[in-house]
Amino acid sequence: MQQIFSKPKSMKKDFRYTFCPGCDHGIAIRLIGEVIDELGVREEIISSTSVGCSVFLYDFLDIDAVEAPHGRALASATGVKRARPDKVVFTYSGDGDFASIGLAESMHTALRGENITAFCINNTTYGMTGGQLGPTTLMGQKTTTSPTGRNKDYYGYPIKIAEHIALCDGTAFSARVSLDTVANINKAKQAIKKAFQVQLEGKGFGFVEILSSCPTNWHMTPEEAHERVRNEMMPVFPLGVFKEI
Amino acid sequence: MTTEKVLIKGNYAIAQAAVNAGCQCYFGYPITPQTEIGEYLSGKMQELGRAYVCAESELGAINMVMGAVSTGVKAMTSSSSCAVALMQEALSYAASDELPVVLVNVMRTGPGLGYIYPAQGDYNQAVYGGGNGDYKIIVLAPSTVQECVDLTYRAFYLAQKYRNPVILLADGLLGQMMEPASFGEYPYPEVDVSGWALTGAKGREARKIYSVAPDEKKQIQHIYDLHKKFEVIAENETTYEEFNIDDAEIVLTAFGSMTRNIKAAMNVLRSKGIKAGCFRPVTLSPFPHNRISELALKGKDFAVVEMNMGQMFKDVKYAVDGKSKVDLINRPCGEWLSVEEIVAGVERVMQGGKAYAANI
Amino acid sequence: METNFIIAGFGGQGVLLAGTVLANAFMIEGKNVTWYPCYGAEMRGGTVNCEIVVSDTEVSSVHKQDTDFALVLNQQSFDKFVQRVKSGGTIVANSTLVAESRPRSDIKYVFAPMTKIANDMGNGKVTNVVSLGVLSSVCKIVSKDFLAKGVEKVLGEKKKSLLPLNLKALENGAASLALV
Repeated sequence: MQQIFSKPKSMKKDFRYTFCPGCDHGIAIRLIGEVIDELGVREEIISSTSVGCSVFLYDFLDIDAVEAPHGRALASATGVKRARPDKVVFTYSGDGDFASIGLAESMHTALRGENITAFCINNTTYGMTGGQLGPTTLMGQKTTTSPTGRNKDYYGYPIKIAEHIALCDGTAFSARVSLDTVANINKAKQAIKKAFQVQLEGKGFGFVEILSSCPTNWHMTPEEAHERVRNEMMPVFPLGVFKEI
Repeated sequence: MTTEKVLIKGNYAIAQAAVNAGCQCYFGYPITPQTEIGEYLSGKMQELGRAYVCAESELGAINMVMGAVSTGVKAMTSSSSCAVALMQEALSYAASDELPVVLVNVMRTGPGLGYIYPAQGDYNQAVYGGGNGDYKIIVLAPSTVQECVDLTYRAFYLAQKYRNPVILLADGLLGQMMEPASFGEYPYPEVDVSGWALTGAKGREARKIYSVAPDEKKQIQHIYDLHKKFEVIAENETTYEEFNIDDAEIVLTAFGSMTRNIKAAMNVLRSKGIKAGCFRPVTLSPFPHNRISELALKGKDFAVVEMNMGQMFKDVKYAVDGKSKVDLINRPCGEWLSVEEIVAGVERVMQGGKAYAANI
Repeated sequence: METNFIIAGFGGQGVLLAGTVLANAFMIEGKNVTWYPCYGAEMRGGTVNCEIVVSDTEVSSVHKQDTDFALVLNQQSFDKFVQRVKSGGTIVANSTLVAESRPRSDIKYVFAPMTKIANDMGNGKVTNVVSLGVLSSVCKIVSKDFLAKGVEKVLGEKKKSLLPLNLKALENGAASLALV
């Protein structure tokens, strides 16, 4: 009998996702696992992840990993890469982790052009703590800390992460992808692969911002949540490659 | 390497000792009075093909150290007081993750920004920590430039031997002064890190270094284990110096570069017929409680001399536990208490006077 | 036996370097020695100083309230440190930039035109080394020969070409009092 489907080898054999139903973290982590398999780098990888729902990456990928405090994944990864330049190093963060508490670390890692790959899940909210306003929360979006919706006078504006990272001279690749359709998932995988490849080629910082749904905190069904990604997020956070060298 | 003496600043001595100890990576952010450490290493590390990063902040620097040491290499950062405050979160993580982080704190004046003149106000910050949870750091306090070398060596060794963060607690006076010192060879064996270091999961199970523990029982056990480890550290590594202790009626007690001044004050007091001795913890954590306790039981009084409002004083009092008298001779920061001031302070407390704090 | 020195001047006069040479000279001589600078914001614009303590036994404290010798290269430093010289101690001043005055009667005063001597040699930058030469002629425990070794050590291989000039500065400083 021919086997036509299996879990990526770089993922733990017995894992079951503990994410909320409909959450896109599972898809993103699986794509990273597939790319690690395809590049054949599982035994060379050291990852660093900080705090948020992204922290559960440890539970699903069967790779060496070190934790970092909230926001410090990119600093930790810089330490790993400088200590072991021969290893493949990546980080996996949420938008709050990467672009709010960790913005300085993230941006300076890109500016230094560290040969590191970084992924940022953008779901416009702090998921793990129950849906508060974060750095990517859309204008008008209601969260538990913006009960009447985000307005500029009270909360300021959301950050366009991939565009900012693309502005850094040390960035070799910066893209924004989405996981709302099969076609977009395939494109996301290509971007994830590219972000690893620029590291392997020593070109500099590789970055992918991944638009993701958070049905639980958005109070939506998974389908409605993907509709929101398309209809509300993409106009503000357009998909595409913002830098590639 | 040579045993020849060179006239060298404390900061440069620490930096060169780190190089000799095999420190592969330095991550730092400038702050007076320790900036020379980073300046010295920026050139040296590049010359040796080792890593040096001008970090974006102290938060970045200490977390880079955590990442680097997780792969089994020796790495360090250095900073001062108000900026070491920024690193406390990471130290809590590093202690829980059992990462051999080496941090040098060349103390300046606080609280807040304070100023660049020397002080010893970070005793509590180093020994008790500003991070969350139950954790302990090994703290070494050099008293001379030679000890800046020797204790930097020891910091790297102990960090890896026990997989525990180590703070080298120096001060601005020691960092900025020059004194003859010799480097010799790094005197400790290399510690085998192959059992835990992250190198990529080649031919073995993947390793995770993290402190997140949703399982309550495991977390409880983890904290017990960390504290058991520190009991072993206390048993094996507690070090102190004492002078003229046997017949001493009053024991002048200080840490770091104040040690020099209490030794001189002891000599002056002895010449006046006062039986003074000196006690100086080399390890502030683990603290030599047992020895102080023994001396107190023999009826020896203590005069703690420090450049803060009585931080080590509390530990000495705790160790003495009411068995003898403990007084404080102090100034919060700035110009080190002179030998004359210490002598006057000791005479005053021996006559039953109140604790001596200059300008109070 | 412990002796301490304060060397002071304005930024750029090389007082920290002069202190380094003196401390090296003592180290080479096999004595215990410490060098402690004022550091930080004061280094820009104001007076700079460093303190050297030399001792046959362990140095007692590196930063003292008073001093046996003050070597001052400008007026501001004279005004500040003349008050910190121990009774019976000595202040050695650069008379090119310091007005001769004797505000206290319990200390010794030595005035020598250090900047002028250096300028006459064609290089004002060696004022600091000239000052050490002057010091050696009035302070028994400072040996000109060991100062020469200290200069050599501080210049090192990289700046060895400057050694003859600096040795000459030391000589001229030491000889200056005889000329007065």
